[in-house]
Amino acid sequence: MSGTYQPPNTSSRDDIKEGNVIYYTCGDCAVRVPLEPSAPIRCQKCGARVLYKERTKRMVQFEAR
Amino acid sequence: MGANDDGFEALLEPFYNGKKLTDPISTKEDKYQLLPAFLKVKGLVKQHIDSYNYFVEEDIKKIVQSNRMIRSDQDPNFWIEITDIRVGMPTRDDANELRDAGKHVTPQECRLRDLNYSAPVFIDIAYPRDRMRVVRKNLALCRMPVMLKSSKCYLSGANNRKMQEMQECPLDPGGYFIVGGTEKVILIQEQLSKNRVIVEKDDKGVTASVTSSTHERKSKTYVALRKDRIVLQHNILMEPIPIIIVLKAFGGMSDYDIMELVAGGDTVYQDDLLMSFDEATKAGVYTQQQALEYIGLRVKMGGARKGRTFGGPRRNPIDDGLDALTNLIIAHITIKDSDFYPKAIYIAMMVRRVLMASHNEKLVDDRDFVGNKRLELAGQLLSLLFEDLFKGFVATLKQQMEYFFKRPNRTAAYDPTGSIGVNGRGITQGLTRAIQSGNWTVKRFGMARAGVTHVLSRLSYIAALGMMTRISSQFEKTRKVSGPRALQPSQWGMLCTSDTPEGEACGLVKNLALMTHITTEAGTDAVEELIPNLISGVERIQTQTGTEMHKEGSYIIHVNGTPYALTRRPEAFAKAFKQKRRSGCVSAFVGIHINQHFSAIHIATDEGRICRPYIIVTNGKSTLKAEHLRLLQLGKVGFEDFLRNGVIEYLDVNEENDALIAISEDDITPAHTHMEIEPFTILGAVAGLIPFPHHNQSPRNTYQCAMGKQAIGAIAYNQFNRIDTLLYTSLYPQRPMVITKTIQLIHYDKLPAGQNATVVVMSYSGYDIEDALVLNKASLDRGFGACQVFRKYSVEMQKYRSGRKDRLGGPMIGEDGKPIAKHRCLDKDGLAIVGSKICQGETMILRETPVDQEAHVDGSRGSDEYRPAPVNYRIADPAIIDKVMISDTERNSQIIKVQTRQTRRPELGDKFSSRHGQKGVVGTIVEHEDMPFSDTGLVPDIIMNPHGFPSRMTVGKLFECLTGKAAVVSGHRELGFGDAFRSHPVEEMGRTLIENGFEWGGKDYFTSGITGEPHEAYLFNGPIFYQRLKHMVQDKMHSRSRGPRAVLTRQPTEGRSRDGGLRLGEMERDCLIAYGASQLLLERLMISSDATQVDICEQCGQLGYKGYCQTCKGHGKVTKMTMPYAAKLLVQELISMNVGVRMQIEDKFPDPEPALPMRPKKSVHA
Repeated sequence: MSGTYQPPNTSSRDDIKEGNVIYYTCGDCAVRVPLEPSAPIRCQKCGARVLYKERTKRMVQFEAR
Repeated sequence: MGANDDGFEALLEPFYNGKKLTDPISTKEDKYQLLPAFLKVKGLVKQHIDSYNYFVEEDIKKIVQSNRMIRSDQDPNFWIEITDIRVGMPTRDDANELRDAGKHVTPQECRLRDLNYSAPVFIDIAYPRDRMRVVRKNLALCRMPVMLKSSKCYLSGANNRKMQEMQECPLDPGGYFIVGGTEKVILIQEQLSKNRVIVEKDDKGVTASVTSSTHERKSKTYVALRKDRIVLQHNILMEPIPIIIVLKAFGGMSDYDIMELVAGGDTVYQDDLLMSFDEATKAGVYTQQQALEYIGLRVKMGGARKGRTFGGPRRNPIDDGLDALTNLIIAHITIKDSDFYPKAIYIAMMVRRVLMASHNEKLVDDRDFVGNKRLELAGQLLSLLFEDLFKGFVATLKQQMEYFFKRPNRTAAYDPTGSIGVNGRGITQGLTRAIQSGNWTVKRFGMARAGVTHVLSRLSYIAALGMMTRISSQFEKTRKVSGPRALQPSQWGMLCTSDTPEGEACGLVKNLALMTHITTEAGTDAVEELIPNLISGVERIQTQTGTEMHKEGSYIIHVNGTPYALTRRPEAFAKAFKQKRRSGCVSAFVGIHINQHFSAIHIATDEGRICRPYIIVTNGKSTLKAEHLRLLQLGKVGFEDFLRNGVIEYLDVNEENDALIAISEDDITPAHTHMEIEPFTILGAVAGLIPFPHHNQSPRNTYQCAMGKQAIGAIAYNQFNRIDTLLYTSLYPQRPMVITKTIQLIHYDKLPAGQNATVVVMSYSGYDIEDALVLNKASLDRGFGACQVFRKYSVEMQKYRSGRKDRLGGPMIGEDGKPIAKHRCLDKDGLAIVGSKICQGETMILRETPVDQEAHVDGSRGSDEYRPAPVNYRIADPAIIDKVMISDTERNSQIIKVQTRQTRRPELGDKFSSRHGQKGVVGTIVEHEDMPFSDTGLVPDIIMNPHGFPSRMTVGKLFECLTGKAAVVSGHRELGFGDAFRSHPVEEMGRTLIENGFEWGGKDYFTSGITGEPHEAYLFNGPIFYQRLKHMVQDKMHSRSRGPRAVLTRQPTEGRSRDGGLRLGEMERDCLIAYGASQLLLERLMISSDATQVDICEQCGQLGYKGYCQTCKGHGKVTKMTMPYAAKLLVQELISMNVGVRMQIEDKFPDPEPALPMRPKKSVHA
């Protein structure tokens, strides 16, 4: 664990809030839903209320024993 | 595939199991095909669904019907009439999102969003306004939790495709509720039957008791024989009342009439009763008036009658007595037109039963007899609760109405519509809370039961199914009586003989057998109408005197335990009645049986009786013919058709006693009345997994019933879509090589939990003692026993009174511009990255809580700061983030669920079991090349120690191995059947093995993998279905050298989850004391635990502080010593309770010099 715990600095959070959309997947129609923080959770296409986070684009390697 | 595929289609297909449409049908062999037909319509979880359907469709209307009128006391011209009630289909109940409110909701959405799967309930009302009758329809009253797959559920009648669209598993049994996103089951409750007389004998004498249960109240009446006197007891009576006084109080009967009504012509009973007549004479009771007064004076004031007498004048004792007799004593017999005769007959019958039992002990009833029991299902329990809540609703509505009419100047006419929805919320909350907490409280019955509902166990498919068939008993577990726990002969075919837990609940928790059905109420009207007209010579009991009732050869016909009519031809009556039932004139679930001991015919139409279908046999021939089965195979008829056509009928436990039932067609004689559909149905669904259970020692089958529920396998087809708190799934589940018909019927072959391991029975390495298994490493590499563990971490974003909400923070960025280590797995939205590996201590959900949570009255803003409240991953072994779900709840707050996944291969110490109660842990994992191999190159997956067999006597396991092997080597999977009570496969399987070049007994030549030499013996080998059980080393492994301590006692914490220490308990302490290991004891109890330095004053014996004694006001005698912190705490706690504690200190090992003991305070003094 590097670095000690610092109280969350509010300045960095505000950057996150601004225009930082994260994409989610609708549980019903599988459409990509861009969502801003504090936006209501709802699929823009079908109105479903259950959204899942998209899988990372980063490479993931598993140890296959 | 049919439009309504529920998985039974394959079994009913014409080509099922290698049989073609043209193949000959043998009723002997193929009658089991009735079983899938039965399970399509009844059985297993259908009882829950039937019961719930009855409640929401019929019972709820009856409840409202009996409480329909609300009249105002203030304004006699105003009333509200509730004309109808309906339960709709489940809808969303989102508070703020009007877009969604009222829309259909699927069970899966409820699970994911932590909602209630509930439907709106509508009522129609009528009330007067301006001398007109105003009718308002479809007013929303409350919300009713909906049972899955019931008639009010979208899943009922859905085909596979629709199920898939709703993300639901087509094999899911249903029958449970979803409340707050958790699946809740209302377990079947076992109870003694209501409104029936039970005669018991104890040290004091014989007692007949009856629990009267009506919609208004529940009470118990006793008629007891105490020292040759018969008395009547009831809760509302202050003391037992002589029975003759009670009978006299009913009026209209002379002493002679009473004598005849009880004893008939029997002089022995007459003599017995004579003693009781003296009692009445002694009390000076001769007339009805005197009797009523006698009873009235002994009715308890208050209690049940508190409310009624309030305000009114004190009534005279005669009215009190009359009221008690009419409404309270044996309340289930209703009085019509002040005619007490039916009640007198009932009491007389109880007295007669007491007298009979006092002369003949055999006539005492057996409480444990299944026929004397009733099973209470979800519908009944909900009905009780709903009625209570509805009455409360009506009461509040009335209160508000009265309040309105009391107002002197009313501006508008009263409109009740508004208050209905508001008051109905109480019903919604009551129902939801009861299901959620499992606490059933019905005020009117004084009923307060806890633990009625349980969370549906989703450990495995079998666990869930097993829970749906579970019956919990009302007996307390602590009682050390064996009677209720023992296997009752009347359980045959109704309750599973094997499936019961071990230990404290043994025999009290039972399970339904495969073909059991629990009746719903059939209604007495049709039956009562039928009785007098069925055969000639049936007379209503009211017109008869005691003389006629108890005449030799007279049989009293009881309807639900109440005398109703009289006949002298019982057999003919029963026969005619059964005929009517078979032809469908009476419900198929009405039972009739003749009791020869009491010369009585009992007709039962009540709910909760346990029954089971049988094939009808007439004149020594089964009525089931080949053409019936042909039609069934063609899908032209169903089970209900057989029921209607008199091929099959349901028998309840009492009626079974009048039947002679053949097990197979060969056993039928002219005396037989019925035939079993299939003998293996005496077992339940869980015991049905065991192949050849009839070859096992019986406790082994019981053990397997417990372990089958812990096996890791597939849970449901939608297992990866549902986010369970804890989910174990097998990577490569297999259908067992040897299956049973039960397995097919409950679809275990579609959702199996285990794998077919090639097992060699031999001793190997010594790491296989005490049931340990030797596993092949190469098998593990290929995925044997591999499983996945999913865990849910869920967080709801709370709203606070200050108007602030919880929020998600962004990951903290370190000096290098990257997130700090703890936030390594976080995305910029403060939630874990899907697919990333998460290690101990890392954050998954970076929640932040406002510091300012309370409401501000003065309008100030309060602090804007947020405090981090993250959800961290706490388990030592890393996992992968599998899924991150975000959604809203009904309260419109955000909910976040994170699912983690671990993939585990078996390791040393993991638990495995076969299906025969043979559990074991992995003792060693051996390289493939060191395993023995056969001449065909076969290398086992598992080596099992042969010592597991002799004492366990699990011959079924040997048979499973043999049968499986024959099926494998021949390539015919239809060989792999191990049904209970069916076959004995050794010869046929041996032949198959020989045909395929193997030894007939399943033993083969093996070469040692270690030495390369042949083994000296031939080794028994073959496929055996092995289950991986949920107990895994990874979840239990724990060690601690130093670690956290409890705050209060400063002792090490307890339990693995708190990194706790291992307790050296009292018994261990005793051992060390006895051995004299004082230094070890000192180390364990003090140094490694809560040793602490305290200052003690030698003078006063009290605790000091920093070398100073508060009491003695000096440093003089204060000394230091080491003692357990817990002991110090005890002393201080005692002081706080005003109990003085003094510690006298002496030196066990004084200094050789007589000088003063060496202490720090000495130096201070010096």
